Parts: sequence; C-alpha cells; structure tokens
Amino acid sequence: MKYAFFVGCTTLSRLPGYEKSARKVAEKLGVELLDMPGSGCCGTTYLETLDHKTGLAVAARNIAIAEEMGLDVVTICNGCTEVLTKANRELKENPKLRAEVNDVLAEAGKEFKGTVEVKHYVRMLKEDVGLDAIQEKMEKSFRGLKVASHYGCHMLKPKEILMSDDPENPTVLDDLVATTGAEPIDYPNKLECCAGPVMGVRENVTWSVGLDKVKTVKQYGDALVTACPFCYLTYERCQLMQEESPNLPVLHIPQLLGLAMGLDTDELGIGHNKVPSTVVLERLEG
Amino acid sequence: MTITVSREAKEFRRKVMETPGAEKLMRCYQCGTCTADCPIAKRVPEFRPRQIARLVMYGQKERLMEGDLLYLCAGCYTCYEHCPQEVHVSEIVSALRRISLDEGHLLPGFKALMEGVAEMGYIYEIDEFENEMREDDGLPPAPVPDTDGIEAVMRATGFLGKVEASTR
Ligand code: SF4
Ligand code: SF4
Repeated sequence: MKYAFFVGCTTLSRLPGYEKSARKVAEKLGVELLDMPGSGCCGTTYLETLDHKTGLAVAARNIAIAEEMGLDVVTICNGCTEVLTKANRELKENPKLRAEVNDVLAEAGKEFKGTVEVKHYVRMLKEDVGLDAIQEKMEKSFRGLKVASHYGCHMLKPKEILMSDDPENPTVLDDLVATTGAEPIDYPNKLECCAGPVMGVRENVTWSVGLDKVKTVKQYGDALVTACPFCYLTYERCQLMQEESPNLPVLHIPQLLGLAMGLDTDELGIGHNKVPSTVVLERLEG
Repeated sequence: MTITVSREAKEFRRKVMETPGAEKLMRCYQCGTCTADCPIAKRVPEFRPRQIARLVMYGQKERLMEGDLLYLCAGCYTCYEHCPQEVHVSEIVSALRRISLDEGHLLPGFKALMEGVAEMGYIYEIDEFENEMREDDGLPPAPVPDTDGIEAVMRATGFLGKVEASTR
C-alpha cells in the first residue's frame, strides 16, 4: 500500500510528534507514505471561504502532484482533509469549473485530471489496512485505560462531501482506540468543535471551548486522542494557559496505536507532548 | 407587520444567495436551532447565527460587516448539518466574507495569512531552522513548495491583488 503523504503546514512545523508517530505506525503496518515534491499549503479552510475558485486552484495544485505520482492522498490534518476532499469532489463533478481551474493552474504548470482520492489517515487505517490487520500488530495492551476520542469537524462535515463517517455518531477513532485494548468512551460534548479556527480572532473563546472539553473528559476518562493538529493544539494549549492545569494527557491517535504496537516513546515523539502522558504510559501492559 | 426591503438590500441579499450552498436563505423560518447548537454562540453573545440569517434577509449589511463578526465563525458546519431548512449559515458567512473582500475589507490577520501562503507556500515559514529541528527528530526535510507557481495561481484569479489592496 502506497500513498502520497500530505502532512500540512501546522504539523510540518509545529508537531513533530504527530508526524513521526504517523510515519512509524504506517511503516509498522507496511504502508508507504511518500512525500509530495513541490507541495505546499492546502490553501486553508479560510481561503475557500474568501474566494472559492482560488481555494479550489490552490488545493488542486497539490492534488495534481499526487496525480503525477499516481497515488491517492493521505492527510493527517482535518483542515487539509476537508479542503482537499471538497476540491477533489467539486472538480471531478463539475467539468466547467474544472476547465476554469485548469486555466489558472496552467500558471503553475499543473493540470487537475481527477484520477486520485483523498482520505484522512484514520480512514486509510480503518478502510484500507483494516482493524484486524492493525489488531494483529499489537504487542501490548492499554487494558483498563479509558480513552476519549475527539473527531473534530472537518474530518466528517459536510457529510455529503466528506462521506466518511456519520457526523452525529462517528466511530472510526473509537474503533482504532479499541485495537489498543483501551476502552473507548462516550462523553457529553464529544462532537463539539475545538474552535481552533477562531484562535487568531478571539483566543479566549478557543481556550474556553477547549477547557470545557478537557474538563468533561477528565470526569469520564484518562486521556484524549485527536487526529488533527489544530484540535490537538487547542486541547494542549488551553491547559498550559491555566495556573492549575487539569493535566489531561492529549495524544495524537498514531501515538496511542504505536505505543500498543511496542514502538518506543522516542520513535513516537511522545516527549514533544507538553501535557505529560505519564498516566497513559504507566498503564501499558505486556 | 410588513417589512419593506429596499432595492439595495435586495441586491445584497441576491449576492449572498448566489453563493453555492447559500441559495436557500429565504427558507429560514427562524427556529434558532443554529444558534442553540453553535459552539461560538454559546460563548460569544454577539455572535448569533439565526440573527445573521435574518439580517441578510432584511439586507442589514452594515451590521453584518461590523468588527470581527464574520471571522468569529469557526466553520464547524454544525449549523449546516442541523438546520431543518438547509439554510447553511456557515455558507452565508462565507458569502459575506467574499462580499466584504470584494469591497476591499479583510481582517489584518487574515490578510497576512493569505499573503504568507503566496509568499512562503505555507502558513508558516518552514526553512533551514525548521528543517534542522525536523532532522533532529529523524524527519525528512519538508517539501519545498513551488512558491512561484502558488503565487501565480493566487494572482491569476485576481484574489491576491484584492488581498494586497484590502484594508480592515
Ligand atoms: S438558519 Fe436554519 S436552523 Fe437557523 S434559524 Fe434559520 S431555519 Fe433555523
Ligand atoms: S459553522 Fe459557524 S455559525 Fe455554524 S455552528 Fe459552526 S461556528 Fe456557528
């Protein structure tokens, strides 16, 4: 299994622990993630709101690189996932729009052909690798550890475009958590947005949204897992801003998977997580 | 009570409804589901998705374009998924952002962000320093974006010019 790996700006420059663990876990599962030469920002979720055509073109330039590689795209950021999936769908379905965007893309020497798919890493794990194959790689167990999943919005919505999981009752992350032996838990504000996108406008709103989730999860579970750099940063930073931090460990989903696969903490970049994961590491059995 | 809507207001409304996803504005029956479920409205009293829909229907453009209102939407699509009438306030907000930029306005942070994408190919600078840190972590250098290509694309649509000329 081979994919074009679209890491995304925020993970590339801010979250080595996420990227390292995603690469290591893929390797362990025999999945090859190839870098995309010349790729850049997906365009951001903001760009598409400001100018639809430009948003499509900037996204499509990246997709065209994967097309040249002849590979489907795997993303690890919810923002990139939504932006690239939406552009891919719209341009595949609307020949008129595709022609207009290709006119613009010629400026960058690229053409969108519509030959590849885009999926989030967690979907690739569940749908292409399969939960059984993942389970087989587990050498250790988080038995008894209660883990809350935060899905984030753009992996799931709008549903008619992402078509990945039910946005009102998503299961992909919980299913992955279960492969580690940990207990996936439900909690009241599970589907609430992290509000990461307003961090640059009203920071305090993001921290308030983040803390609400962190405090709720703390009542029901031992740790939170995310599948997006923005969600992760919200739940980590909102705690660091507090004098008395709730100290809820936040892990990138491949970190949790990797630990249960027996990979060491260094390979998974656990040391980069700023809220200590000690309570999680202590529960690893076997 | 009859509310008269001026020609200018109607024109504004029409522009919003031209945006893909925002066509069904007039179906809004003000049930308030969007406001009740919006994560931002829960914390920011002046951000009311239902009111945004109403203000657009009545062409109250000035009130919508005030301050940072349009940029408080997190784009979480909760209102999009939950609206019984498929009004899609999230897409109405996008339409309003486009109209505001067409009229020469963009918040400074977003202007810098968009100019950054054109200049660096990423939203952050990823150069030797970042790549050395990546190397320490055993990670390959970040892809080098074709910045000329990205800038050319963003300019060809007229977008970058609008961004550069924009003021708050
Ligand atoms: S936009 Fe939809 S959810 Fe919001 S008030 Fe109107 S009908 Fe109700
Ligand atoms: S998309 Fe915007 S308006 Fe709609 S629920 Fe989310 S934050 Fe609120």
